Amino acid sequence: MKETLRRLKSLATRAPVERRLDEEVGFHIDQQIAKNVRAGMNPAEARRQALIKFGGVEHVKEQTRDEFRPALLEDVLRDLRYGIRILRRAPGFAIVAIATLGLGVGAATAGFSVVHGVLLAPLPYPEPHRIVRLFQIDRDGRRMGTVSEPNFNDWKRDARGFSAMAEVSAGPAPVTIGHDTSMIPGARVSREFFDVMGVHPLVGRGFAVDEARVGGAPTAIVSDRLWKTRLGGGPLNHLRLRVNNTVHQVIGVMPPAFDYPTGTDYWLPRELAAPQTSRTAHNWAVVTRLSHGVPLDRAIAEISAISRGLKQQYGEGTWMSDATAVPLREQMTATARPTLLLLFGASVVLLVIACLNVSNLQLARASTRRRELAVRLAVGAGRGRIARQLLAEAVVLAFAATATGLIIAVGGVRTLVALQPANVPRIQNVDVDMTAMLFAVLVAAFTAMALGLATALRTSRPDVREALAEDTRTMPGGRRSERIRQSLSVAQIALTIILLAGAGLLTRSFIKLMAVDPGFRTEDALLVDTQWTFSPDAAIQQRRKAVQEELLARLRALPGVQNAGLVDAHPLGTGWFPNGQFTEMTRVDELQTFADLEKLGPEIKARQGLAAYRIASEGYFQTIGIRLIRGRLFEETDSADAPHVALVSESLATAKWPNQDPIGRFIQFGNMDGDLRGFRVVGIVSDVREVTPETGPGPIFYGYYKQRMASHFTLVVRSEMSSSLAPTVRQVVREADPELPIRLRTVEEALDRALAGRRFSLTLIGAFSVAALILATLGIYGLISYLVGERTREIGIRLALGAESTDVLRLVLGKGVALAVPGIALGLSAALGLTHWLEGMLFGVVPSDPIALGGVMLITLAAVLAASYVPARRAMRIAPVIAMRAD
Amino acid sequence: MTRDRRKSDVLQGTLDMLVLKTLQLEPMHGWGITERLEQWSVSVLQLGQGTLYPALYRLERQGLIRSEWKITENNRRARYYALTRDGRKHFTEELANWRRTSHAINLVLDAAL
Repeated sequence: MKETLRRLKSLATRAPVERRLDEEVGFHIDQQIAKNVRAGMNPAEARRQALIKFGGVEHVKEQTRDEFRPALLEDVLRDLRYGIRILRRAPGFAIVAIATLGLGVGAATAGFSVVHGVLLAPLPYPEPHRIVRLFQIDRDGRRMGTVSEPNFNDWKRDARGFSAMAEVSAGPAPVTIGHDTSMIPGARVSREFFDVMGVHPLVGRGFAVDEARVGGAPTAIVSDRLWKTRLGGGPLNHLRLRVNNTVHQVIGVMPPAFDYPTGTDYWLPRELAAPQTSRTAHNWAVVTRLSHGVPLDRAIAEISAISRGLKQQYGEGTWMSDATAVPLREQMTATARPTLLLLFGASVVLLVIACLNVSNLQLARASTRRRELAVRLAVGAGRGRIARQLLAEAVVLAFAATATGLIIAVGGVRTLVALQPANVPRIQNVDVDMTAMLFAVLVAAFTAMALGLATALRTSRPDVREALAEDTRTMPGGRRSERIRQSLSVAQIALTIILLAGAGLLTRSFIKLMAVDPGFRTEDALLVDTQWTFSPDAAIQQRRKAVQEELLARLRALPGVQNAGLVDAHPLGTGWFPNGQFTEMTRVDELQTFADLEKLGPEIKARQGLAAYRIASEGYFQTIGIRLIRGRLFEETDSADAPHVALVSESLATAKWPNQDPIGRFIQFGNMDGDLRGFRVVGIVSDVREVTPETGPGPIFYGYYKQRMASHFTLVVRSEMSSSLAPTVRQVVREADPELPIRLRTVEEALDRALAGRRFSLTLIGAFSVAALILATLGIYGLISYLVGERTREIGIRLALGAESTDVLRLVLGKGVALAVPGIALGLSAALGLTHWLEGMLFGVVPSDPIALGGVMLITLAAVLAASYVPARRAMRIAPVIAMRAD
Repeated sequence: MTRDRRKSDVLQGTLDMLVLKTLQLEPMHGWGITERLEQWSVSVLQLGQGTLYPALYRLERQGLIRSEWKITENNRRARYYALTRDGRKHFTEELANWRRTSHAINLVLDAAL
């Protein structure tokens, strides 16, 4: 303690101690000189002998300082001060280095923040690692999206490794609050749902047993967001939600952080509706909580064994062949993972390039500082000390860069979050938090070590004599330093190529994707999504069909509207693409009941086909831009009482009836809506890519809206002024039925949204590769300028001896090319090894796509030549006489 | 370069002991101490007189000696070092310690084989 105090005191009073030491040493030497003079030496000799006797003054001082300095702390402070001073003396270098490193650190920190926030951070629920989702696995070994209720019930009954198990079905539904109806995402959850999540309402209570049964009083638990924004945040007993024509009393509010399923604003008891008995009706997501101490693999083994048993018992009665469990966090982030890892990888590569750039700059400086350092070595400064000072300089750089980098990271992360990539869950939770800052500091420390040590090793080892004797006319840094700098530049080029290759491949994919014909026209069309609550009541259905008919008529009559149509699930829609198995019939009334279907027995297989099931109006096909290939489209005469008609898409026609004519055939597709009246196929229409332009067109079956009900439907309005039409369209829908919730957007917006994820990845890697290219170009520019600078004399002599300026140009550009060629070669071979990771993100190009890689090569070569051209021009203008006088 | 650990602790310890010894009679400045050591012809300062100073600063830091500016007989300012009470005690203890150890070592070395 005493010791510490003394050290602190001496820290505070360092300068006086330093002066005291100077004075003591001075006194000592004077005394010795006086003694020597008394012994008969002349003053000069006396002084020389005194100094020899004393030993190296600087060395002694240094050793003595070791005794009075509170060693490390003070050293570090002094070295840091020294570092700052040195950097202030070279502001140009400092600014460039800090900006470059800042960019690297900022990018890496932003990348880390996103990866951490989305992929790594635990879910905000108690013991989140215990929450897992269960999946059925089908015959082909594929994970199925949803589970059927009987399978769920058997799992729940037989499995021992889970403390709670629940089914969830989430999606938007029309919700009326007061007089306002809109689509709000909600979820039906079974009894143990909140136990699985480990979270219960913060305000109010959970569902009572009596409320979770058929005929129970309808209740709802709402999100904090819905409660505060839409419900006014008041006492719960007055709050009601009308969901699907049922009024639910609000009984609880979840904590603000609770967000599962993502975006859900209210939870209703699943048990209000009757149990489901079909093993092939897949409607539920299953979430469970592992029992204490049960590892995931044991849970998987158990659920798999039970499911294989069910398969044996039910055979074709269940589509499930096996089952598995996946941690909830992993499942939620699975789709975003490749994009985010790509982002993080790119940011780290950028950081490395930035480090290489600054190393290069530092080496250039260090070689000119070699003499300074050699002088300091000669007068007794320790080599370790010099190394430490260089390291300190690097530390100052790295931390200034980290400060800059954090600003860049915060800006970058905000921008990313604002882009709202639809395919990245939890993105709104991403922030540059303490963990990210810690990461930045670690990166900075690592960078400082790398930079400082590299430079220190290079420069604190010069042969003193050689360095001092060196004429500044010879190369200051020596050949070795030049070689190191060249390899750094080569490495930069190689890394840049890797990033550019990724960007190039994704760009090519994007271009190919934009060129894909989705099968519909994307311009000048407005989509109006809306839906009624399903009602089996025939009278209500009749009335609704009339409303739809009226809506279409009024929309078509609007000025500026060319056509309008209706469909129950439009291309690029959000998530609702019903499909199923139809059966071909020999005559329209062959199969009139489900019993008839069952009577067919195994023969049914040959008659069945799989298709998407859509309900559309006349005018829909013309409006969205789907062509009639053969036969006819729906017509007004296909009234409700007329025989039911259907259209099939081209791909359905070729898949089900190769070399045959589907027109005139009879189809039973009653399993989709319970209406067992048969369809007669009247026409073939062109294909559309419904989900995204990336997935090929699937087989589609269309029924007519006047004959079959579409409770959930989208009005498609074609008009050249589609965006300015929105208020009028809204008005028309309101007037037709005020209870219809509306969501308006253009087809172009829908397409944008479908491509958002891809655009997001592309923007990111594009930004990173441009940054990398700029850094690498700057690095090469710096190196070539430096080489030209130190060859001024040589070039001057050449010019004086009659070299043409084009020879000089060739000489300098040659230097650039000499860096570019190995860099490109290295980069391309690395890229070829790495791009296969991108395979899942590519569309229409192979990872070794020669156009993308060739383009990348040309861009890089052009950048290198441009970077060399500027110093080359300078070299060409060197005046021989001045050059030879230099130095 | 923090503490130089290669230098033998024995040598450093010896130098410390001798410095304390020189200061037993009266306070002295650095040069005076080197002169005294030279009179004793001990060669702990082979590397030059300067090597005394780290030892002085170390001992002062350890609280075994203290220092102050005084005017010499030639009217110059010099830093005089003096033993503190701790220093005297430490020296006596170390001396006793040293005697015991060297006695024991001598006994062994002189023992007839």
